Amino acid sequence: MKKVWKKITAVLLAGAMTVLASGCGNSGGNASDSSSASSDSGAQTSDSGSAPAAEGKACTIGVAFYTDTGFAVDSTKAYLESLSDTLNVKFTYTVLTQTDEAANLTKIQELISSNVDGIICTMDLGMTSIIQECEAAGVYLGGYLCDYDTSFNTAYDQVFKSEYFVGTATDGQNPDDVTIGNTMFESLMEYNERNGDAPITHVSMAIFPTWAFPAQQIGADQFVAAVEAYNETAETPITVDPLNEESDVLAFAPIDTTYFAKHADSQAIISFAAGSAFVYPTMVQAGVDSSMKLFTTGYDGGEDANFGTTGKGTYQQTMVTAVESVTYPLVLLLNKINGAEFSDQPAEAERISTAQYVINSDEDMAQFQKSCFYTKDAANAMYTPQDVLNMTAYGNPDATYADLKGILSTMTIDSIK
Amino acid sequence: MREKEKVTPADFLKQHVYDIAAYAGLIVTFILFLIFSGSRLSYNMATVLQSASAYSIIALGAVFVYSMGYMDVSVGQQVGVYAILMIMITNAMGGTAAGVAAGFLVILALALLCGAFNGAVAVWLKLPSIVTSLFLMFFFTGAQLLLMESTGTNSISIQAVIKPADRNMYNVMLVLAIVIVAVIVTYFFKFTKLGKYTRGIGANEVTTAQCGVNTTKWKVIAYMAFGVCVAVGSFIMLTRTGSAGKGTGSGYAMDIMICLILGGMPLSGGMKSKVSSALVGTFTYVLLTNDLTTMGVDLNMINFVKAVIFIAIIMVTCRKKDGVLPR
Repeated sequence: MKKVWKKITAVLLAGAMTVLASGCGNSGGNASDSSSASSDSGAQTSDSGSAPAAEGKACTIGVAFYTDTGFAVDSTKAYLESLSDTLNVKFTYTVLTQTDEAANLTKIQELISSNVDGIICTMDLGMTSIIQECEAAGVYLGGYLCDYDTSFNTAYDQVFKSEYFVGTATDGQNPDDVTIGNTMFESLMEYNERNGDAPITHVSMAIFPTWAFPAQQIGADQFVAAVEAYNETAETPITVDPLNEESDVLAFAPIDTTYFAKHADSQAIISFAAGSAFVYPTMVQAGVDSSMKLFTTGYDGGEDANFGTTGKGTYQQTMVTAVESVTYPLVLLLNKINGAEFSDQPAEAERISTAQYVINSDEDMAQFQKSCFYTKDAANAMYTPQDVLNMTAYGNPDATYADLKGILSTMTIDSIK
Repeated sequence: MREKEKVTPADFLKQHVYDIAAYAGLIVTFILFLIFSGSRLSYNMATVLQSASAYSIIALGAVFVYSMGYMDVSVGQQVGVYAILMIMITNAMGGTAAGVAAGFLVILALALLCGAFNGAVAVWLKLPSIVTSLFLMFFFTGAQLLLMESTGTNSISIQAVIKPADRNMYNVMLVLAIVIVAVIVTYFFKFTKLGKYTRGIGANEVTTAQCGVNTTKWKVIAYMAFGVCVAVGSFIMLTRTGSAGKGTGSGYAMDIMICLILGGMPLSGGMKSKVSSALVGTFTYVLLTNDLTTMGVDLNMINFVKAVIFIAIIMVTCRKKDGVLPR
C-alpha cells in the first residue's frame, strides 16, 4: 500500500509541476506586461515630440540568445520588455547552442510552435535550415549582435535574399567595415598622452580564431598598420609582437600562462577577443594584472573595479555594443508583421555595422555606468517606446529606412543620456 | 484436460499497467497537441515528425541493447562524428550521389565496429557495458573536436542534396524511413533468435547461458544491430540541417533513454521489453516538448518539467530494487 501511495504521489507531483510551470510561463507574460506598463508611463513623459502613433497589431516575437545570462542578455530583455505595451508585442526567449545546428533548428521550431510572429536571432548557426523553417511557417527573422558572416559568404541567396530575413545589426563592425584596430590604436595613444611619464611602448595581441571571428584578424592587422604608420615619425616608437598562432589565438579558452613568457617585454595586451572572460583571469593568476594593461572588448561585470585609475588599473579600454541596437531588427520585423514598408526599404536584407561604446577613460566609464546596458534599466535607454514606435513604417508614415539604419551609427558613449 | 485460466479485468490491468500508462501518455500528449497547436497544427505536425525521426530510429535500435538491461551512453557523440564524417567524405567526392553512398557506407562500417567493440570488450574484460560505452563516448568526443578543428570552421555543410526540396515529400520520406526501420526491427526482435536471446539475457543471463545460448555472440550482434540504427539515424538527422558541428548529437544518449523509458521499456530489460516502447516513447517525448511549448510554458522551464516527469515515471515503473540501474 505504501508503495502505491509513493507512486501516486510521484504522478501527482509531476502533474503539479507541469501545471505550475505552465503558470510560470503565463505569469512571465503578465510580468512583462506590467513592467512594460510601468516603463510605458515613462514614455508618456518623454520628449519624443510626435503625436501618438498608430499601434501595431498584437504579436509575439521570440528572441534567441547565444547565452542565457550576462549584461547583454539581461539589459536587452529589460529594454525589450519596456517596449512591450506600446508596441503591442509580447516577447518570449530561448537560448541557442554555439555548436549544434540541429539543436538550434529545434529551438527555432519550438519558438515557431509557440506561435511567434517574428524571431530575433543572435547566432548564425544552421541558418539555411532555420530560414527554410521560417519560410514554411510564415515567420520573419532578424539578426542582432551577429554579422551573419557565414551566411553572407556561403548562403547569401538563401538567407539575405529571403523575404523572411529582414537584416541584422552587427555586434560592432562587419568584416568588410572593420575599424576596431584603429580604435584600439587611438585608445593606446590616449593612454600614452595621459601617462606621458610612463607610456606603453611594447604591446602584444590576442584574437579568437579567424574562422569564427574574421573581423578580429583584420582588426589586428589594422592595429599593426596604424602603429607602423605612427612609428615613422614617433620619437618613442611602439613595438607590437606579431601574433603567435600557438599562444595568441584563443580557441575559446582562457589565454595560457605561457603567453606572458612568450611576450615577456609586453606592457599591454591588445585583446580583440573578449578580454574579461579570456585574458584577465589568467593575468590575475599569473600575477601580472598590476604590471600589464589590458585593452579589450566586451563587459561581463566587475571590470570597472580595476578600470582606468581605479583599483589596479588593469583595464584601460573596453568596447560594448548598445543593447538599443536591437531596435533595428525589431522595427523591421514589426513592419513586416504589420504589412508596412519603408519607402526606401532596400530590396535585399542588409547587415549593418553598429557603433560601439568605446570606454577608455574614467569619464567614459562613469558615462557608461548610466547606460541601459550597465544598469539593466530601460529608463536609461536611448529610445523610449514612443520613439521606437515612431521609427516604424506603420507608426509613422514619415519614418525611413535610412533613419533606422542611421541610429546604429549614433550609439556611442556620448549618446548615453 | 486442464481448464483454461480465466483472466479477470483486474489481472489484465495488473499485467499491462505499464503499457497502458505508456499509451495513455501518448494519447494525452497527442490530445493536448491537437488542442494547443491552433492555427499551426500542420506545421507542428511536420515539426514533431522531423524531431522524432532520428530519435525513433536510434531508439528502435536501442531496444536490442536495453532489452538486455544494458545501455550505450556514447550514442550522441557517435551521431556527431558520423554526421561530420559523412559530410567530409561526400564533399571530398564532389558532393555526388556516389559520395553520399560512400559516406554512408563508411559510417555504417564504423557503427558496426563500435557496436562489436561495445559488446565484445564488455564481455571479455567483464566490464559493465556502460563502462565501454563511456570509453567510446570520450573517444568520439575527442574525435569530433579534432575533425572540426581540421576543418577550421564552426560547422560544415554537405554539398549534396540529401533531402527532397518539397517539404511534404521530405515528411513522407521520414515516415517511410521510420516505418521501414520499425518493421525490420520488429521482425528481428519478435521472430528471430536475436530478439529472443536479448530478452533472455535481460531476464536472466545465467539461465540463458545454461540453456546453451552463446550470450557473448548475441550481445555483440545486438550492439551491432544498434549500430546500424545509429548510422541510419545519423543520416536522417543530417538531412534536417545538412550541416554538423562540434556539438552535433550532444544529449542524444539521455534523450534516447528517456524516450524508451517513457515508452514503457524496463531499464532492467527482460521479457517485457517491446519494440513499441521506442515509437510510443519517442513520440510522447517529442509531443510533450511541443505541448509544453504551445501551452506557454517558459522555454527554459521545459527541460525542468521534463526532468520531473521523467523522475516520476522512474518511480512508477521501478519494479525491483536491484533492477533500477542497467548493468
